[in-house]
Amino acid sequence: MNHSEKKLNSLHNSLMRDPALFEPAEFSAMESEKTGASNYSYWRSTLRTFFKSKAVIALCVLVSVILLMSFLYPVFSPIDPTKVSINPLDWNHRPSFKHPFGTDALGRDIFARAWYGCRNSFILAFCIALSDVGIGMIMGALWGYNKKLDPIMIEVYNIMTNVPSTVYLVLLAYIMNTSFITLFISMASRGWIVEARFFRNRILSIRDAEYNIASQCLGTPMRRIATRNIIPHIISLIIMEAALCIPYSIGSEVFLGFVGVGMPVDAITLGNMVNHGRASFTLHPYQMLLPAAVLCIITVAFYYLGNKFADASDPRNHV
Amino acid sequence: MKKNKKTVLPIEKAELTPEEIERIEREREIIDQSAPYHKGEKLLSARNVKVNFNLRGAELTAIRGASLDVYEGETLAIVGESGSGKSVFTKTFLGMLDKNGRITDGELWFHGEDMAQYTSEEQWLKVRGKKIAMVFQDPMTSLNPVRTIGEQIAEVIMWHFGKSHDEAKKETIELLHKVGIQDPEKRYKQYPGEFSGGMRQRVVIATAIACRPEILICDEPTTALDVTVQAQVLDLIKSLQKELKMSVVFITHDLGVVANVADWVAVMYAGKIVEYGTVHDIFKSPEHPYTKALLQSLPQLGTKGNDLYSIHGTPPSLFKTIKGDAFAPRNADAMKIDFEEEPPVFPVSETHWARTWLLSPQAKDYREALIKRDAERKENQIPEEPFDYTNAEKLITVRDLSVKFKIAGSTFRAVDGVSFDIYKGETLSLVGESGSGKTTIGRAIMRIYTNNVDGEVKFNGSKITGKLSRADKKKLHMQMQMIFQDPMASLNERAKVDYIISEGLYNYHLFENEEDRIAKVESILSEVGLTAEFISRFPHEFSGGQRQRIGIARSLIMNPDFLVADEPISALDVSIRAQVINLLNKMKRERSLTYLFIAHDLSAVRFISDRIAVIHKGHLVELAPAEELFAHPLHPYTKALLSAVPQPNPDTERDKVLVKYDPDMHDYSTDKPAWTEITPGHFIYANAKEMEGYMNEISR
Repeated sequence: MNHSEKKLNSLHNSLMRDPALFEPAEFSAMESEKTGASNYSYWRSTLRTFFKSKAVIALCVLVSVILLMSFLYPVFSPIDPTKVSINPLDWNHRPSFKHPFGTDALGRDIFARAWYGCRNSFILAFCIALSDVGIGMIMGALWGYNKKLDPIMIEVYNIMTNVPSTVYLVLLAYIMNTSFITLFISMASRGWIVEARFFRNRILSIRDAEYNIASQCLGTPMRRIATRNIIPHIISLIIMEAALCIPYSIGSEVFLGFVGVGMPVDAITLGNMVNHGRASFTLHPYQMLLPAAVLCIITVAFYYLGNKFADASDPRNHV
Repeated sequence: MKKNKKTVLPIEKAELTPEEIERIEREREIIDQSAPYHKGEKLLSARNVKVNFNLRGAELTAIRGASLDVYEGETLAIVGESGSGKSVFTKTFLGMLDKNGRITDGELWFHGEDMAQYTSEEQWLKVRGKKIAMVFQDPMTSLNPVRTIGEQIAEVIMWHFGKSHDEAKKETIELLHKVGIQDPEKRYKQYPGEFSGGMRQRVVIATAIACRPEILICDEPTTALDVTVQAQVLDLIKSLQKELKMSVVFITHDLGVVANVADWVAVMYAGKIVEYGTVHDIFKSPEHPYTKALLQSLPQLGTKGNDLYSIHGTPPSLFKTIKGDAFAPRNADAMKIDFEEEPPVFPVSETHWARTWLLSPQAKDYREALIKRDAERKENQIPEEPFDYTNAEKLITVRDLSVKFKIAGSTFRAVDGVSFDIYKGETLSLVGESGSGKTTIGRAIMRIYTNNVDGEVKFNGSKITGKLSRADKKKLHMQMQMIFQDPMASLNERAKVDYIISEGLYNYHLFENEEDRIAKVESILSEVGLTAEFISRFPHEFSGGQRQRIGIARSLIMNPDFLVADEPISALDVSIRAQVINLLNKMKRERSLTYLFIAHDLSAVRFISDRIAVIHKGHLVELAPAEELFAHPLHPYTKALLSAVPQPNPDTERDKVLVKYDPDMHDYSTDKPAWTEITPGHFIYANAKEMEGYMNEISR
């Protein structure tokens, strides 16, 4: 017996096992199918990725608090934000415990006005987000699916986006009387086209996916292709676009209020408050800065959350 | 190249028991036995490498202790299916793991240093690209689309050797010439977009060899390429290896490619090397059940009319805990011990080892019985009689079919005047390279394209091109269905299997009530080999092969007569292909279906088809019964395709001579070509002069 055979023998000896184990095992074909399953779920992974960052959690809490305050404060607070004081001692108070944001030149409580303003601005922003994303999505779907519509829509898009938005907004607000409806119309009439183009690009990229061709082969009607094949794939985009629409709308409202063509002067909105505060800025800077700070927090938080959600909804980031 | 910014944690080696240490020692000894049989010195030595990934909060082990050596001047092929860890394993040689992965155990010896201990990017930069270079599957991921390819290669040379721009440019042009790019001076100034896929891969290879690496790792470099181009790129890699005396590590799932290029083969399954040996060891006497199954399930080796040997189930996902032999759940001949204890390495010969209990002397009888049974089964297979065309009815007639696409203002004919028939009950295969128009023909027949289609398609004698009434459309949807190429893209990710399969039923309300619908879905699921409990799951929970079967179930539930199968197996793992081919054949027998089978290479086609049509640039160039086409190919393009098919036989594959096809060889300027029947059933696209030549070739 030479050296290598000896080695092999010792190997085999060390690997001796119970002979009963060398019997054929039972085989189950269905069991063999189960080895491949993964625990991946799109929405679970999206939320997990989204909430992984501490900043996102903090901002989510902050935004919820602001939303709750905006809608609950006007209901529960006894302070009337429009109450004017004729006593000059009540005018232009610095921020104090009684008036956290101070009072303005007519003795109105800025803290209360800020929440009323937030509420009105939010209502406007939600309406605009709803109409922009809603109309944008429907038009985008038509645009993406109908090849004949494409050249027309591209021209419409070019014309509408090439008119500077400030000129357009100011002009429209100028022609019509200043009111909530005017503001809504002037902003909503133009916001949808950008959304429509965004959705058109997304729909174009999934329109020719094999699963949509499969539906075509099966004779699936257009309506069901839209509700089952298209919308579920872009729902995260819809959420993201709506979230990004809100700070933009609030910002536009403030801008229009600031240049004096926003809501009527007696309406409480963040834009009007910033505009009022501007007049006394040199003497009482807090009257403008504090509402502006609330505004900044809201816009920055929504932008940040919207962008983070966009990242989280991309399956490539699901690691 | 991707930057690796991981922070390397100190490796915590688990305390090993003396038995485990002994086992590892023994394995090393067996692995080292092959050393004297290699051509050169050992270059790189990976020992017991383990790689963990942190994926969605779970800690997964992708490589479970893999050991491998790379020797000077040799080609080592690593074979395995997707998810086996072959790419991840080789990426550890360059420190290129994704940032959520890390080496947790093992050694990687290269030039006297253990690379597994490297902590900084600087250490890796001395190795990566300079000594070990990598070529990826998709050339576009490694090329910058907005810079000329010449500058991209020259930059590598300047960066690594500190040469001046002019010197680097000169060297780049030489390199481009070396990798077979014609007119390199002109090509130097072009952008990657101006190159074809094969050319791009050549450029990537040129970049990789610019620093004269000692080891070139090719990660499925030809998977994305057409067969004829694949064969050329393989030839290039082989000749470069000889010229530059590199070691090549070739990662692939295609055993034909392995037979072509490899000296040594390592088979990988579930993060472990399960068998290692010379290319002859692996192809002639495979020992591990997985290797055996892979080889037996190749359609090139099947007998027509009989089921292919197929591997059950699906490749394991990393989320499953593995006990014993990872392959055991899919192995119908597994032993009880395979489920209990992980098999150790057993030597077969000094150059060949495998990780299976079958090699234990205790399993000797069982092993011999298995070998005998496999041999008998092979002998008992009787080839099916060829399809009888004498009384065959025409199911589909296609006449002068043309499909045009508008691209950037100009019209492009993807399909140009194609005519053929499909007979009831046959399988007609349509073979051609990407961009040849084969999928377009399938889709034109399926009426996906309608406005841009000229010519006529008849189904059962009635015209189906042009405008159709709603009732006619419904009838067609019930009679013709399609199976798609990419199982990942062809199922709606956001719908449950239940809805996906019932979609056709919903469209035409083909069920009486909800119970009837569920019963129909469940019965079709069991027909394609899946359990009823799968119906409430989403597609992402399934592997590629299972998804493809769901796609087949979706089209079969309509009870069609005719199926267009658009490359149904090309995106699947090798171990899964046989399953799907068998399923398609079974369905054809049981439901008397007719197939139009679209494929890009000839290897699987011979096994499944009755007739084969070859298409090139929108023209059918040859159509003949399958055996006739393989025996007497006439058109030079068919010959080129046939010669490019990789055969899983190292003896013939390594020295084969490629037939190249150059479309400029035809002179159609005065003598126009036509689609003619040269012998009964054998059609060819040729002009009068060529016909004469082909006639001579046939009579010879």
